[in-house]
Amino acid sequence: MATNTLLSLTTPSQSLLFPHSNPNPKSLSTSFHGPSLKISPKSLSLSAAPFKPLTIVAATKKAVAVLKGTSTVEGVVTLTQDDDGPTTVNVKITGLTPGPHGFHLHEFGDTTNGCMSTGPHFNPKGLTHGAPEDEVRHAGDLGNIIANADGVAEATIVDTQIPLSGPNAVIGRALVVHELQDDLGKGGHELSLSTGNAGGRLACGVLGLTPV
Amino acid sequence: MGFLRSAATTTTAAAAALAALTFTSLSPPSSSLPSLSLPKSLKFQSFSINKPFDHLGHSKNLTKPPSALHMDAPLSDYKPSSPQNGVLLPDLLTEFMVDMKCDGCVNAVKNKLNTLTGVKNVEVDLSNQVVRVLGSSPVKTMSEALEQTGRKARLIGQGVPEDFLVSAAVSEFKGPNIYGVVRLAQVNMELARVEANFSGLPTGKHGWSINEYGDLTRGAASTGRVFNPTTEEKPLGDLGTLEADEDGKAFFSGTKDNLRVSDLIGRSIAVYATEDKSDLGLSAAVIARSAGVGENYKKLCTCDGTTIWEASDADFVTSKV
Repeated sequence: MATNTLLSLTTPSQSLLFPHSNPNPKSLSTSFHGPSLKISPKSLSLSAAPFKPLTIVAATKKAVAVLKGTSTVEGVVTLTQDDDGPTTVNVKITGLTPGPHGFHLHEFGDTTNGCMSTGPHFNPKGLTHGAPEDEVRHAGDLGNIIANADGVAEATIVDTQIPLSGPNAVIGRALVVHELQDDLGKGGHELSLSTGNAGGRLACGVLGLTPV
Repeated sequence: MGFLRSAATTTTAAAAALAALTFTSLSPPSSSLPSLSLPKSLKFQSFSINKPFDHLGHSKNLTKPPSALHMDAPLSDYKPSSPQNGVLLPDLLTEFMVDMKCDGCVNAVKNKLNTLTGVKNVEVDLSNQVVRVLGSSPVKTMSEALEQTGRKARLIGQGVPEDFLVSAAVSEFKGPNIYGVVRLAQVNMELARVEANFSGLPTGKHGWSINEYGDLTRGAASTGRVFNPTTEEKPLGDLGTLEADEDGKAFFSGTKDNLRVSDLIGRSIAVYATEDKSDLGLSAAVIARSAGVGENYKKLCTCDGTTIWEASDADFVTSKV
């Protein structure tokens, strides 16, 4: 019951709590269910943790997002990670205006309400906006990508804060490319410390699993 | 269990029965389902919501909620092997942001939602303009009811009082031909709700499934096989058949046993031209993380000044369930 208590403490809706907690998950762990469905004591303790870890098959260390918008801007971004090392981001986005464009990872991959349902920049550490190389930054702050005269931005970003597995896995979250340059938190604008004042969104895409 | 496993693969009905058996035999009846243990103080509709599951885990074809009468498309796929349709759904908390500015609005919204079949409790936080609904009504029904009060409403979170690794996910089909939103929400460790709204489909039956990869570089063709984490013959990710009406619209609302939303993040949902999924697929969309209840009260997109009330049909054509 200790775990159950923990579970209830983490829920935002005390007033609607049911008197009984959810069924004891262990009692449902039969051999009928396949490996990834197994409710082990381990996964139970994970669900009581303040973070919401995502269990991803260890072998899967590659992700891809296809970015689209209402304009001509589109592109493909792939992420690869070896074990627990840094993640390499390969970007190719076309149809941009020449110059720098803010490039961010948002908390949710849900765009049903546009920018609202994607939530803020992915920020598990609760810091202010910054540059990718800063100590103080959102994990989702990937800086700027720079489009050439043809409007094509090709970049390779190596980053340690965007793992493909574990509690802060970026799978299922949204990548967004912006209209303007991200001032990396240093522009002195009221939005600098939250969004980098990067203007509207041109295209976005959800990071999905892909075979290595 | 070896025997049971092979029996389960033989017929899907057996699988359903077995799943139900797992539920009923191993869980204390009083706490096996959240809806069975609601405090009496909560409002109940006259509907027999206390029994969402009968002996087979998918209950009788109860009368559909009134609003189901003007759904855009016929419910499809009543096969017991598929996510059960026409079934009374398990309870979920659904959070909407509703454009309310006064106490009168609060009452209007509450009263309207309380008329819906399956709605058990409505909480309103006027200062945040948040309405939290506990019940089994499909999102589509609740969204329509809220819009009928003349106020803008946007779904901002879904979940249950218990906390899961990931409680809600969404898969958005963004055209150019097929538009749709599929919402997945964890109800308990062994059950997820699935709700889908599609438009732009060719009229007729379409197989649809959760596929193992969320790689859309070649559309549905690069999403791999149907997600199957088990050795069962029928893959867990098989969602059965969608039936698109003459206008190309399809609606589905049901549940799926053994589905854990956290295992599906980054995979995809694909819709096929054929019922047996023998083609490369018409369209696919990544299963994305979506906000749980209380996780996202963002109202303004500071990057471009868009408000939540403006952000809707402009960048997405179909109705946002």
